Amino acid sequence: MSNVVVLDNGGGLLKAGAGGDLDPSVIIPNCLYRPLSAKKWLHPSPISISTTATAATEPSSDLDLTSASVRRPIDRGYLINPDLQRDIWSHLFTSLLHVNPSNSSLLLTEPLFTLPSIQRATDELVFEDFNFASLYVSDSPSLVHFYEASRRPTSLLSRAQCSLVVDCGFSFTHAAPVFQNFTLNYAVKRIDLGGKALTNYLKELVSYRALNVMDETFIMDDVKERLCFVSLNVPRDLQIARKSGKENFFRCTYVLPDGVSYTRGFVKNPDDAKRYLSLSDEKVSSPSLGVKKDVIELDVSEKTEDKKRIDLTKNEFDLTNERFLVPEMIFHPADLGMNQAGLAECIVRAVNSCHPHLHPVLYESIVLTGGSTLFHNFAERLEKELRPLVPDECQVKITTQEDPILGSWRGGSLLASSPSFEAMCVTKAEYEELGSARCRKRFLH
Amino acid sequence: MDDDSTNPFRRMSSRTRKVAPKMVAALASSDNRTQAALARLEALENDNAGVEVVENIDDEDASLDDDDQAYIKRQSKGTKRKTRQAKALEAKKAPKTFMELLHEANLESLPPHVPSYLKAAVGPPSSTSRRHFCTVCGFAASYTCIRCGIRFCSSRCQNIHNDTRCLKFVA
Ligand SMILES: [Zn+2]
Ligand SMILES: [Zn+2]
Repeated sequence: MSNVVVLDNGGGLLKAGAGGDLDPSVIIPNCLYRPLSAKKWLHPSPISISTTATAATEPSSDLDLTSASVRRPIDRGYLINPDLQRDIWSHLFTSLLHVNPSNSSLLLTEPLFTLPSIQRATDELVFEDFNFASLYVSDSPSLVHFYEASRRPTSLLSRAQCSLVVDCGFSFTHAAPVFQNFTLNYAVKRIDLGGKALTNYLKELVSYRALNVMDETFIMDDVKERLCFVSLNVPRDLQIARKSGKENFFRCTYVLPDGVSYTRGFVKNPDDAKRYLSLSDEKVSSPSLGVKKDVIELDVSEKTEDKKRIDLTKNEFDLTNERFLVPEMIFHPADLGMNQAGLAECIVRAVNSCHPHLHPVLYESIVLTGGSTLFHNFAERLEKELRPLVPDECQVKITTQEDPILGSWRGGSLLASSPSFEAMCVTKAEYEELGSARCRKRFLH
Repeated sequence: MDDDSTNPFRRMSSRTRKVAPKMVAALASSDNRTQAALARLEALENDNAGVEVVENIDDEDASLDDDDQAYIKRQSKGTKRKTRQAKALEAKKAPKTFMELLHEANLESLPPHVPSYLKAAVGPPSSTSRRHFCTVCGFAASYTCIRCGIRFCSSRCQNIHNDTRCLKFVA
């Protein structure tokens, strides 16, 4: 039996390793970057996902990424630059995974609704540039379902062979019903927002309010992962965010790298940054809150003077309401000027596109995956918003994957080690004989 | 007074100015608000918002170690390879954006029952009640800019908006 390389080729992170393993051996940003100190575009170093509950990812190098520019092969979730992807894969297979593609199979994830022209370019990369012996292409929701079904064999998800996978990743967010290990693509709904848009939104907010960080993709990713969370009560939290001193549970300070004593940014007082966790739902009950939203902003002109007292020479900035307004975008894009339904409504529309027999099972088997679901309180907030939209006779049960960044990869690894895998693949000879379009039909039902 | 230093969107890269056909249509419309909304999503998907991407990608191969290329089949004589290389040279100027590829795919012509990227879009929210956050400070906003439709909360934030952001997305 040949080796299988499992590659979850995300727009943000690329996860790769050997089929059958528990975890990928390489996790690396799917981009090239050029730090200010470098003349060339460089391959990022692999990162290790910290096993704590936070989303923060730790690069293993100490390269100062202040104002580094970045080039990505993937735009809006889809492969647009095969030349650049070839460079990155070449580095991956040769220098990081040390595999020989010509005696390996490839299990590759590809986003739903990939355009035929992009599928063709992908097949050319796999078979013509890298010479893989065979290929199987899958999508993230079906792999996530497959993994969860095998991990929890007695669950409804497993018994009914049905789940609703909510994948909130780097490029976009999908609500995808899965039935008998196939994604029901006629029912999938997509929000055009993911982790990348959230980071860029955070850049905008900080750049308006404190100092210009528009160039700081890598630093602001770190800020977002460490400090953002989902609010369970936005009107209340907006009030708290404008208070001063200890009354303000959200204010915290992030220190930018100075390029001399530290090459990475950090949270100034990590304990302050965690104070919001002590807010409980009971504090909601104060009578003036949440009733008349438009009253809140009357005295803002005096209060915001505080914010302007930021010492630019110190290279640090405060965050308050930005911490929860950024993830808020996933729940209510319309609040921020985008004409798209939010996540709860997205799920309802996906479920309603399925046969009514499936509705109760889907609502009871919601699985959250993707790095952007790691914000604190994400699942709680989603349940709060979803419950009123779901028929009373249906139960709502939301599970966050144990490791939402690795979920699809683990599903792929499991599939690659199943006995039927080899027969599901398209071989290089078949590709050469039939061409891309006909081979692709094999991966459908 | 020019506000180059405070306005991060001033120096957009040449690549992001190359807009997709849909954008062109929208930009041609006289509706500033539609323009602002589309440009908003473009801005949120931009990789190097504040960086001038002047020098193009001539140096891209410079990043590769030679041994990384080991598994790439180099068939300089194969005709298939040649046409691909010729194509690649043409395309070398700049890769197409996803919006351009989408336009080329002409998904609008598919029969209505065929699932596609376009049909999977979630669509507008059903509820018309929106909360409005000030685009400058983030607190609840009750005013709308008459020129671009963006929200702000106070005259202080309005001034910042006028100076730095108003209609700059579409300028
Ligand atoms: Zn304001
Ligand atoms: Zn305006």
